[in-house]
Amino acid sequence: MPSKDTDTTTTTKETATEERESYQPNYVLPIEKWDFIDYGTFEQILEMDDEDEERDFSRAIVHGFMEQAEQTFKEMRACLEKKDLTQLSSLGHFLKGSSATLGLTNVKDHCEKIQNFGLGRDETGTTNIEDPEVSLTGIRSALDEMTKEYERAKLHLTEYYEGPGNKQS
Amino acid sequence: MLNRKVWVKRPGGSPTIVNVREDDMVDDVRDMALKKYQNALGRSYDAPDISIKVVPRHPRPRSLDHTPGRGYDSQLGERTLNPDETVIRVLDDYFPGGQSIDEALVIEVPPLPSVGRRTPRPSPHHGFGSHHDGHPGMESNDYFPPMPLTGYSQAPPTSSSQISLREPSIAVLTTGQVPNLPGSPGGTSRRNVRPGARRMQTSSPVVRPSPSEVRTSGDGPGVVLMPRQGRSRVNSDASNTAQPVQAPSIPTPTVEDNSQKASTPPARMSSPLAKKFKEKKQHTSPAGLLPDGAVPPINVLIVEDNVINLKLLEAFMKRLKVRWQSAMNGKEAVDKWRAGGFHLVLMDIQLPVMNGLDATKEIRRLERVNSIGAFSQSPSSSSQEDAPAVPDEDKLPNSILFKSPVIIVALTASSLQSDRHEALAAGCNDFLTKPVNFIWLERKVTEWGCMQALIDFDGWRKWKDFTKTENGGGNEGKDRKGFRNQRLITGQKGQNGEPKRLEEKSSLIPPIG
Repeated sequence: MPSKDTDTTTTTKETATEERESYQPNYVLPIEKWDFIDYGTFEQILEMDDEDEERDFSRAIVHGFMEQAEQTFKEMRACLEKKDLTQLSSLGHFLKGSSATLGLTNVKDHCEKIQNFGLGRDETGTTNIEDPEVSLTGIRSALDEMTKEYERAKLHLTEYYEGPGNKQS
Repeated sequence: MLNRKVWVKRPGGSPTIVNVREDDMVDDVRDMALKKYQNALGRSYDAPDISIKVVPRHPRPRSLDHTPGRGYDSQLGERTLNPDETVIRVLDDYFPGGQSIDEALVIEVPPLPSVGRRTPRPSPHHGFGSHHDGHPGMESNDYFPPMPLTGYSQAPPTSSSQISLREPSIAVLTTGQVPNLPGSPGGTSRRNVRPGARRMQTSSPVVRPSPSEVRTSGDGPGVVLMPRQGRSRVNSDASNTAQPVQAPSIPTPTVEDNSQKASTPPARMSSPLAKKFKEKKQHTSPAGLLPDGAVPPINVLIVEDNVINLKLLEAFMKRLKVRWQSAMNGKEAVDKWRAGGFHLVLMDIQLPVMNGLDATKEIRRLERVNSIGAFSQSPSSSSQEDAPAVPDEDKLPNSILFKSPVIIVALTASSLQSDRHEALAAGCNDFLTKPVNFIWLERKVTEWGCMQALIDFDGWRKWKDFTKTENGGGNEGKDRKGFRNQRLITGQKGQNGEPKRLEEKSSLIPPIG
């Protein structure tokens, strides 16, 4: 669990970078500096590639996760239509597991919110919310946020694995 | 002759009284102080070495001033007294109305120049001889009572109390005795980190963690080690350092060497990530691993419903070269476990069909009705004759494959304390927080695995003998090179849950680093 402090620092640093090179997308930053990923966690997966230049193992994991995430988003939208809070909570928990494993902290946090809302609690899971509509609204906005976070991560990760000039190591 | 009582103290120490006559000089007080501090000072210092300092009342709070009416003389500062001053006069000057305990004269000594002598402690209260208390007198506990079914080591439970503490032994583990290991390097280093084993009189697998045993420090992202009553650590230490009586050929792993060479393969040294990872390893794996990353021949059941996580855990098990199987829900987990042969279960908690807690409870229930391991009240009652008839549907088909209760490590997605307690209450031995930190996972597998491998001593010895024959008997005792040969070809799933007979290859794994 990255501390709040680290997050803030990284964000500030990135903002500074972005201001200086305003038209440079920030994925030129080395992966260690990405603020949406807990690098220590993701690194464990990269370690599994060993000497493999192609990074087949971690690539498969990342792609597997993307498929899973996008599928889960779809299911969540469907559940929102059906107002199925229980299933939403369960989906939130499901995606929380894998996003945590990849170190996608922001996605994971939104998953946790959805899980909590789905259980009829507030986003931190501490107090109860009686009105299902409030819960659904909470989930809807968390899902929107999460989708944005995911898209950003996806962009970066795709760049990392497929992009030009990204021969890491 | 009038005697006056004078308070003296060592810096930071508690004040004590010396009796001073009206005309005694500071030099006399030095003699008396030496007598008072016979141990702390008397052995290393002579009276002239000592200096005595007076600290004036100011700026003490008013409340400590016993004579509020009389003003404070600013001329009197903190100073070291000359040997020829009259003590009483000094005191009367500094502390009109009498010296209070807070105004004790301070006894100071120069630091000792010689190396061989012990430096006196600042306070007699932190005196010498407070050897870190080992925890002798561990009594019998039925955490792992003698196994009724197994054919090995039929030592009666009482005999284990005669095991010398200096000679940690395998028998220790088979009988559930965990003496402390004063001479073991692992033990000492560990003891610095955590308090000694805390005993709880319970035969249930429930662990109530005490805060001091919870390691939450920045060692890993959100991963908490919760050894069972602190005893797993002791066990792990024992497993790493024990020189078994029955099998003197067990290698004695050294603790330090393996932290880098653990089963993580050579990292890409050029990359900063590799370095970081390596540092982390050094930091977090001070002990608990066998040399050269050898992991005991255990069989792990991974229970995880998310395929991404499952893939990763499987890959990691492959890397650790342990055998594994996986289950996607609690029901499947129980079914696979029933086939027998597992030493360790990594159990996700929130699972479809049957959740991890229910699966754990079910496994514990089946262990209980089949009288496996630690659930009997006392070792004597765990014999098979006493066991009630086991209903057919609960009967485990291959009881020989259940040497001891399986170790269940819960994988919890939340860091909520309540969830952990719930997991432990359900019968889990330990837990890891997701995302799982691989360094910690490796330690869990190694430590719990070592313990299980030792409990399954018979099987382990067979494996050992086998590898010995294969290698021309070249592996003796501490020959760590020899041990290196004994890598298992593992990671393959055994058929039908039967534990595969251990295989090994004798190719030399090249040294890392």
